[in-house]
Amino acid sequence: MSKYRITVEGKTYEMDVELIGSNGAPVQPVKVQSAPAAPVAAAPKAASKPAAVSSGSVVAPMPGTVIKILKNEGDAVKAGDVVLILEAMKMENEITAPVAGTLASVNCTAGGTVAGGDVLFEVK
Amino acid sequence: MDQKWQDSISQLNQRRENVAAAGGPDRIAKQHSSGKLTARERMEALFDDGTFVEINDQIASRCSDFGMEKKKKPGDGVVTGYGYIHGRLAFASSQDFTVGGGSLGEAHAMKICRAMDKAMEMKAPFISINDSGGARIEEGIDSLSGYADIFYRNTIASGVIPQISVIMGPCAGGACYSPAITDFIFMTDYSQMYITGPAVVKSVTGEVISSGNLGGAAVHSSTSGVAHFVYPDDLSCLNGVRQLLGYLPQCNLDDSMTVPGSAVDNSASLSSIVPADSKKAYDVRNVINSLVDENSFFEIQESFAKNIIIGFGRLDGETIGIIANQALYMAGSLEINASDKASRFIRFCDCFNIPLLTLVDVPAFLPGSQQEHGGIIRHGAKLLYAYSEATVPKVSLIMRKAYGGAYIAMNSKGTGADVVYAWPIAEIAVMGASGAVSIIGKKQIENAEDPAAKKEELLNEYNDKFMNPYIAAEHGYVDEVILPEETRSKISEAFNMLKTKERSLPYKKHGNIPL
Repeated sequence: MSKYRITVEGKTYEMDVELIGSNGAPVQPVKVQSAPAAPVAAAPKAASKPAAVSSGSVVAPMPGTVIKILKNEGDAVKAGDVVLILEAMKMENEITAPVAGTLASVNCTAGGTVAGGDVLFEVK
Repeated sequence: MDQKWQDSISQLNQRRENVAAAGGPDRIAKQHSSGKLTARERMEALFDDGTFVEINDQIASRCSDFGMEKKKKPGDGVVTGYGYIHGRLAFASSQDFTVGGGSLGEAHAMKICRAMDKAMEMKAPFISINDSGGARIEEGIDSLSGYADIFYRNTIASGVIPQISVIMGPCAGGACYSPAITDFIFMTDYSQMYITGPAVVKSVTGEVISSGNLGGAAVHSSTSGVAHFVYPDDLSCLNGVRQLLGYLPQCNLDDSMTVPGSAVDNSASLSSIVPADSKKAYDVRNVINSLVDENSFFEIQESFAKNIIIGFGRLDGETIGIIANQALYMAGSLEINASDKASRFIRFCDCFNIPLLTLVDVPAFLPGSQQEHGGIIRHGAKLLYAYSEATVPKVSLIMRKAYGGAYIAMNSKGTGADVVYAWPIAEIAVMGASGAVSIIGKKQIENAEDPAAKKEELLNEYNDKFMNPYIAAEHGYVDEVILPEETRSKISEAFNMLKTKERSLPYKKHGNIPL
C-alpha cells in the first residue's frame, strides 16, 4: 500500500493506493500517460492562425530591434521608400513601403524589439 | 481511284476533322474569351514553328457507363505528341478543356503515358500542360489508375529527363501530384492548384475562401513554394518554358545546351555593389548579373524564400546553377523555406550535370521557436545533404559573412566544395563577434572593473583576429583570397579546370535524404 497526494485544479487529495496483482503474477510495466501541462480543453491559440493582413501592412520578416524610424505617421510614401530600419541577424535591414500612399500608422518604436510577423506599419 | 478507296479516305478525313474540331466552335470561343489558348494552339506555341507532330489522335474512351458511349470526346480530352524546341526534340501532352472539361479518364491517361514512355526512350524532356477539371467520375477507378500510371512514370523519369509541368487552368485533387513530382511548375495568373477545392474546404472546415486565395498562382509562387514560375498568360508562359529548356540538357547523360558566350566581365563593379560594412544590405542579384554572361541570369522561385536566390546563368555560354544568400531579405539568413528551395535546386543541377556556383554571405540559421518547431533541423539538413551528395563541379565565393553552421551548409570545403574563393572583406568565423565574446569572454567581462570597456576591448580583439578570410585560408578551408575584379575570371577558370571532374558515390539504391 502506498500513500499518494495528488492535486487537481488546486485541490489536494490524499489517497492510499494498493497494487492488486493477480495470483502474485508479476505486474507488467504500464506506460503512464503523463499529465498534460495545460488544461485539456484550452482554446486553440489565436496566434496559431495568421492574422488577416492587408496589402499595405508590413510585418517584421524576423525578430529584431527597430533602430531607426525614418518616416512619420501621415507622411506620403512611394512604393520602395525606406520607412524604418530593423536590426536583426547582424544586419541593418531596410523595411520599405510595399505600395504608394500615406503612412497610416506606425506600430513600433525606435529602440523597441519586435517579433517576426508583428505588424510594423501600415500604408493606406 | 475506286469507290472503296474514296470512301475510306473520306472516312479518315472526317475522323481527322472531328479530332481537330475538339470541343466545337462554342467551347473554343469560350476558351479564347477567358484569355486562354486551346490545347493545340498551346502545342504550336511551345514548339518551334511548324514542328509539332500529334500522336495517337484517334485514341478514345472505352467507357459505356452513364451514357458515355454517346458523348463524343475527340482525342479523349488531351493532345499529345512531340516537336522541337531550340531545334531539340521534346515530348508534350496538353489537356483540352473544351473536350469534357479536360477530364482524365483511362484513355486520356494512356495517351499521356505513351508520350512519356517515348520521351524516356528518346531521352528528351517531357512537358505536361494541365487544364483539367480532374478525374472523369464516369470512368471510376480506371481514371484514378490513370493518375497512378502517370505518377509512376514521373517518378521513374525523375533525374533522367527534365520534366516540366505547366498549369493553365484548374488542376485539382490528385492531378496536382504529377506536377509536384516533376522538376518545375509553371502557372499562369488564372490557373489554380489545390488538393481540395473551396467547396470541400467549406464543407469540412467551415472556412470560406476563394479558389484564387486557396491555390492561385500568387499563393503558390510566394507562400507555398509549389510553383517555380508565374506568367500573366499562355503565350508568355510557354515562352518561359522554352527559355528554361535553353539552359538544360536533354537528359542526365547529356551536357546542357551551350550558346555563343556574351561574356562581359563587370567584376570591377563588385566592390561598389557589396558594402564592406557587413551590417549593410545589398541586392545579391546585382552581384550575379555582374558575374554571368550578359542577361543570362534566369531566376527560379523569385517570390518564395527570398532570403536565398537560385537560378540558372551562363559562364562563357555554358549553363551553371547559382545559389546565393540574399542580404536584402531576412539578412540572408537560412530558414526552413530557403533550405528546401536551395536543396531541391542543387539536386536538380546534380541530376543534370549542371555545375554549381555558391555565393556566400550568411549570418546564421534563423533562431526562434517557429523555426525549431517547424523542423529547421531536418529541413536545414537537406542543404548539407544536397551539397555533400552533389558530384558536379562546385565552386564557392565567400563574399562577406560566413558564420557558424550556416557557413558549413553553404557549400563549404568539408562538404565537398571543389574550389572555395573568398574576398578580402570576408568574415569566416564560428560566430559573430558579440556572440563569441559574450561566451568566451564572460568571466573576463564580469571580473573587469569596467565591464563595458572590457567587452569593447575583447570585441576589437576578436574582430581583428578572427573576422577575416585568412585563418580559413591558412587552414585550407579557403583555396584562395581573390580581388573583386578577379572574380569572374577566377570562377570561370575554376569551372574550366573542373570540366573533367570525376567523383563517384559508393553503390547504393539511393540515399535517404531527410525530408
